Amino acid sequence: MPAPSTVRRRDFLKVLGATGAATTLVGCYSDKIEKLIPYVNSPDNTVPGVSNYYASTCRECAAGCGLLVETRDGRAIKAEGNPDHPVNRGALCARGQSALQGLYNPDRFRGPMVRESGKLVAITWERALELLAQKIGEAKSKGQSAGAVFINQHEQGSFGAFLDQWLAGFGMPAHVSYDAESPLSTIAANRASFGAAWPKLDFQAAKLVVSFGADFLDGWGLPVTHQIDFADARAQYDAAPRAIYVGARRSLTGLNSDSWIPARPGSERVLAQALLDAVTGKGDDALKAAAETAGVPFASLQSLANELRTVKPSLLVAGGHGDEGTATATIINAINTALGNVGVTVKPAEGSRAYDAVAPHSVLREATDHLAGGTVALAFVRGANPAFSTPGGLKFSDAFQKAAFKVSFSSYPDETTALCDLILPDHHAYESWGDAEPFKGTISLQQPVMDPVFNTRATADVLIALAKRDPSMAARVPADYRTWISARVGGDAALTAALPKGLLAGTLAAAPAPRAVVARTPTAAAEQGKGDYFLQVYHSAALGDGRGANKPWLQELPDPVNKIAWQTVIELHPETAKKLDIEEGDHATVETRQGALTAPVYLYIGLRPDTIAIAAGRGHTAYGRYAAGCGENAMRLLPHAEDARSGAIALVSTKASLRKSPLHSRLVTTEGSGRQHGRGIARAVSAKQLAAGDTRDEHEKFVGQAKAEFLPGLRAPVANDAQGELGDPKSAQKGQYDPAHPSGAAKRRWAMTIDLARCTGCSACVTACYSENNIPTVGAPWQGPQFMPDRTGFGANVTRGREMAWIRLERYFEIDREPKDVEFNPDFETRVIPMLCQHCGNAPCESVCPVYATYHAPDGLNVQVYNRCVGTRYCSNACPYKVRYFNWFGYGETNRAQYAFPEPLQWQLNPDVTVRGKGVMEKCTFCVQRIREAENRAVLEKRELVPDEFTVACAQACPSRAIVFGDAADEQWSVSKLVNDERAYHVFEELNTYTAVVYLKKVNH
Amino acid sequence: MATIQRHEPTGTDDQPRRPNIAWAGVQLPAVKDYEQVDRDIMATLRPTKAWFILLATAIACLGIGAACWTYQIHEGLGVAGYAPPVMWAVYIVTFVFWIGIGHAGTLISAILFLFRAGFRTTIYRCAEAMTVFAVMTAALFPIIHIGRPWKFFWLIPYPNWRLLWPNFKSPLVWDVFAISTYLTISTTFLFIGLIPDIAALRDAEKNPTRKAILSALSFGWRNSEAEWRHFARAYLFLAAFSTPLVLSVHSVVSFDFAMALVPGWHTTIFAPYFVAGAIFSGMGMVFTIIVPIRKLFKLEHYVTLNVLDAGAKLCLFTSLVVGCAYMVEFFIAWYGGVAVEQDYFWNRVFGQWWWAAWIMLTCNMILPLSLFSQQLRRNPAWLWILSIFINLGMWFERFVIIVPGLSHEFEPWQWTSYSPTFVDMGILLGSFGWFFMWFLLFIKQLPVIAISEVKEIVPPRLKRAHAHPPEPDGAYEPDTPGTYA
Repeated sequence: MPAPSTVRRRDFLKVLGATGAATTLVGCYSDKIEKLIPYVNSPDNTVPGVSNYYASTCRECAAGCGLLVETRDGRAIKAEGNPDHPVNRGALCARGQSALQGLYNPDRFRGPMVRESGKLVAITWERALELLAQKIGEAKSKGQSAGAVFINQHEQGSFGAFLDQWLAGFGMPAHVSYDAESPLSTIAANRASFGAAWPKLDFQAAKLVVSFGADFLDGWGLPVTHQIDFADARAQYDAAPRAIYVGARRSLTGLNSDSWIPARPGSERVLAQALLDAVTGKGDDALKAAAETAGVPFASLQSLANELRTVKPSLLVAGGHGDEGTATATIINAINTALGNVGVTVKPAEGSRAYDAVAPHSVLREATDHLAGGTVALAFVRGANPAFSTPGGLKFSDAFQKAAFKVSFSSYPDETTALCDLILPDHHAYESWGDAEPFKGTISLQQPVMDPVFNTRATADVLIALAKRDPSMAARVPADYRTWISARVGGDAALTAALPKGLLAGTLAAAPAPRAVVARTPTAAAEQGKGDYFLQVYHSAALGDGRGANKPWLQELPDPVNKIAWQTVIELHPETAKKLDIEEGDHATVETRQGALTAPVYLYIGLRPDTIAIAAGRGHTAYGRYAAGCGENAMRLLPHAEDARSGAIALVSTKASLRKSPLHSRLVTTEGSGRQHGRGIARAVSAKQLAAGDTRDEHEKFVGQAKAEFLPGLRAPVANDAQGELGDPKSAQKGQYDPAHPSGAAKRRWAMTIDLARCTGCSACVTACYSENNIPTVGAPWQGPQFMPDRTGFGANVTRGREMAWIRLERYFEIDREPKDVEFNPDFETRVIPMLCQHCGNAPCESVCPVYATYHAPDGLNVQVYNRCVGTRYCSNACPYKVRYFNWFGYGETNRAQYAFPEPLQWQLNPDVTVRGKGVMEKCTFCVQRIREAENRAVLEKRELVPDEFTVACAQACPSRAIVFGDAADEQWSVSKLVNDERAYHVFEELNTYTAVVYLKKVNH
Repeated sequence: MATIQRHEPTGTDDQPRRPNIAWAGVQLPAVKDYEQVDRDIMATLRPTKAWFILLATAIACLGIGAACWTYQIHEGLGVAGYAPPVMWAVYIVTFVFWIGIGHAGTLISAILFLFRAGFRTTIYRCAEAMTVFAVMTAALFPIIHIGRPWKFFWLIPYPNWRLLWPNFKSPLVWDVFAISTYLTISTTFLFIGLIPDIAALRDAEKNPTRKAILSALSFGWRNSEAEWRHFARAYLFLAAFSTPLVLSVHSVVSFDFAMALVPGWHTTIFAPYFVAGAIFSGMGMVFTIIVPIRKLFKLEHYVTLNVLDAGAKLCLFTSLVVGCAYMVEFFIAWYGGVAVEQDYFWNRVFGQWWWAAWIMLTCNMILPLSLFSQQLRRNPAWLWILSIFINLGMWFERFVIIVPGLSHEFEPWQWTSYSPTFVDMGILLGSFGWFFMWFLLFIKQLPVIAISEVKEIVPPRLKRAHAHPPEPDGAYEPDTPGTYA
């Protein structure tokens, strides 16, 4: 008889069951298990999962907007406008929001680097400082200090003064405060006319706004300030100013203007002078001659002069990047003065100090000449990238290379750092201290919002460390830059007290006055020589002078005017293109004396037929993975021409020849058809009509279209899509769909209004949405199918329409045929309309989903459940608005080439929002995470939601305040009034979708 | 006139020559007796070199498709040519194409059976096998098409702890039911019809393993009268059961489109239009398959010209119905006065997609008009060439409905273009490889012509006391010497 087994049957089964279950459970997890470990000692004010906001100052351009940077668990995750800040009043442009991608840029320097036998190798800070101190010492001992050059990106605040003190301490000359984007001509003219660099432009007070090439809605001057003011002015309907744009290319400001006078490049001064004569009663004779010079009909100038004479007050704004820009701007200022606008619409006393310290370009030229001499022992560059952003004619790189020892404080590899010997990467603005004084008497503080991402150091602190090594300086330097700042703003206590708001009253020491302009020997006549076309290079709205090009959000943001992303295009008028037998997408070569550039052609009807326009900002050779090799650098084509009076660089200074190239590629554009085909998507009424109480538009007069009644208010939330018992109309059990349910969800109807009279098309909302909702960018070459749309591979996915922008800006020209067949006619209207998920009350997408991945929430949201989605894409077919986006690749999967957030870009991801996986649909959620957060907060605080307590990301960022979000079923929310506005309409209301997004018709003047 | 006269019946009073026109009761004058039927048809089951080459080609195509699909699953659907809002493209086109192919088989085997159309007898087995394999091919495509194919089963209603059901309002869920029902019924129907033939193969089989398998598959068929009675009832029942499916399955498939808002999709004509198109395309595929089989297997005396002629008439009729549907679509677009719809049709025929639309119109509406000519109807070579055009045209019909519709919708800003990539095309090729692999395997394992049913129309050899004068070979006039009428 065998010995009895020690394992009994029951035990055996228990073990078997337990191990089986455990094995099964383990097998259920396809991903590796990660653990969340709580803080042992929690830092102060940090609650896991709850955001902290730090007030700071934006450094993406010189304007100095106020920020509230949202941080979660010690990482900055979103940049928002500071509502209390006078510059941007809570709004923030696309560039400002993209600062995060500068902070977390995957190509940032990880630490200091030194060039050894041609290659950059990492070194320690200790070694780097030692090396630099040694070089400085050598220069000093050899008496070469006075020849050193320090080029610093222009920024507001006291860093310039600090830097100059430091330079002076080592016997070096003052720094060059360089900014390729600053409107130097306008600044010089303003200084001459008003004694202030940047007077306040009061659009609201004006009855007529005339812009001479000033693209004030799109990156010119103080973009956000101007945009808010302009939108506020235009929203006054019949009291709103009419806007007129004068310039060879109809920029975004031009498209938002009511009429366009397409003056020939180079004729602005003559035209302005003639207008000055006309408005000061010297007769219209000069106008006739000016009309000839400018190549525009005399009648249009005459009516402009008449309008200026009769409509008061008016506001004339001079932009212009020609070599006579200052002269033109001075005349425009004189017109403003003659018309009595100064003090009414142009307010020098309330002006901004943003451009007080910017150096004219001629100063950089001087420095370049100095560098070219080959005697410079030490050259420093910080923030700026002059090797890229200066015209080819200046030959900056050649000159810079001749310096014996070149030091860069840049945080990113770029064309200038590629020439440098030592790299001491600076902190990002979100990691360092600083200050700004955007308006006289208001100091805006910049504070670190998180620990540094990499082993970088604030340049100011590097300078302090260097000074401490020098016995002659050591005693005079502050402990660190924060100490220095606090001394400037009235002590540590004042600084600490002011930080929560980011603002404090006070004045920083006067900024160092820009150095005198050195007159340039005129070469304009020679430069005008070659070719039949005027070449207009303009700064790209998103990328600026090129500094935005390493941020995928900005690369993927379609240009507000030509809607091109990830690509440089040559803009041509269709008429010219026809003459040259060029079709859209054909490549063409633009040639000037400086060089040639080949790029695809975009046909733009808002351009003079004798002008070629190209945006600067792309075409980097060394600016990280997102920029290098993408597009072409138009600055290469420019001669080095300066405005003799301001030293400003002349972006319109040469003629170019154009010839067709055999290549053809599809444009990297989001534009399908650029006109509405009578479908009534973006609608408009005239101010006159509106005053007469008539809100009809051409769409309602359209014959043969089913006309649906506009539903007053919004249809109540529908419970029909609820499942099972909840969906049964006879059932008493309706769950959350019951208005009496304690959640109260079914009482709400989340809705949005978008006022097209305000919207300018700037696209800040698009970037806000990318930032808030973890939307992947898809345009990098390694992210898409490799069939090379423009040979570089950039934008391949966008070419196929696969961009993921949950909100997009559609730009429609009101013309009666395809743009390619249009003859030149400056008289066309443009409408822009943001398009996002309409959260239909009767959504076509919901009924077709086979797995209930999209359904109707009780509070009216059209919900997308990513986990449930199998990716049939039927919902997208059913959607008439085409606002559903599909994850064609694993953009959110770290181990894939298409990963959209390479380390450390993923630090920016909003932890409240899922990163979507491959093969699922996604779309606008109405920032459901913000809705739920607000609701939960209200529950925790045992209160009801306060009307307008929170808003969605796009509405929050919108610099023209066009978007309003809220509960349309509760009349205390602003949106509930706006949905019943006389201008309100639903897009495609004839489809009975009962949308929650209500548009207010554009008002034309 | 001369040509027509050549075909007019002639003959003597005692030996009347029957008109050489295809009609429902097609007979096989060259098939003399049951033994010949067994001999002729079982002879086709011997593998040949050509067959191995074809099979290898089909498997190679399938391999290409499988490789493309693997790549697509790994990388994501972005490797296919999708250009939003063209969210459905080649895969759905091909899905509808194969589902459509399937319909002719069931029509021939079930509906024509109920209508007692004798010309179906020799081609129905082939058509029915085609149906099963076509539906098997089609069923792959929704899975290939979706973003997360590994979650495909979520479309199937199964009891689960979370009480989650599919959305019964969604036409895609209707598709799941329609296709699974269709696959089940058509497979059963095919198999039931095969039982007596399998038994015949079993009886002739010498290899014990094969014999055992065939015995199992034939359910021990013994050729008894009771078995035949049950068989006939089952067959009739399944024919009756399949008949509505011919109409309903493709109607349901058409609802995928008709139920969506897309201009050019949202139309009530789609169900009959799709059913007619399905039968038309299926007839095309029947010709594509049967003409070479008839030639290579030397079965011209089974699949006679009269059979082809009758099939061609059905093909012509469905072509006319489809052409009429096209015209009605255009008319309604104009007459309905909806600008979006008009725009779409204009763009489809004269705009961006003119080439695709004209391929469709030429192949489906214009070329089949040649079948009004009796000579061409009785010309197997022409029928085969035409069938290739019909297959192409019907693939393009679905393309023209799906892609131009989505690329030219309500929102002009989202108008787009579309071009497939090698992945789309590889998977399309793979689908043909998959289909023909099964089909080629089928024709060498099981009889491609229904032995039992052919025997029904062959006069039984009677035990005669005296020699019977042979039926004159010229009872039917051959079209050309050496061919069978």
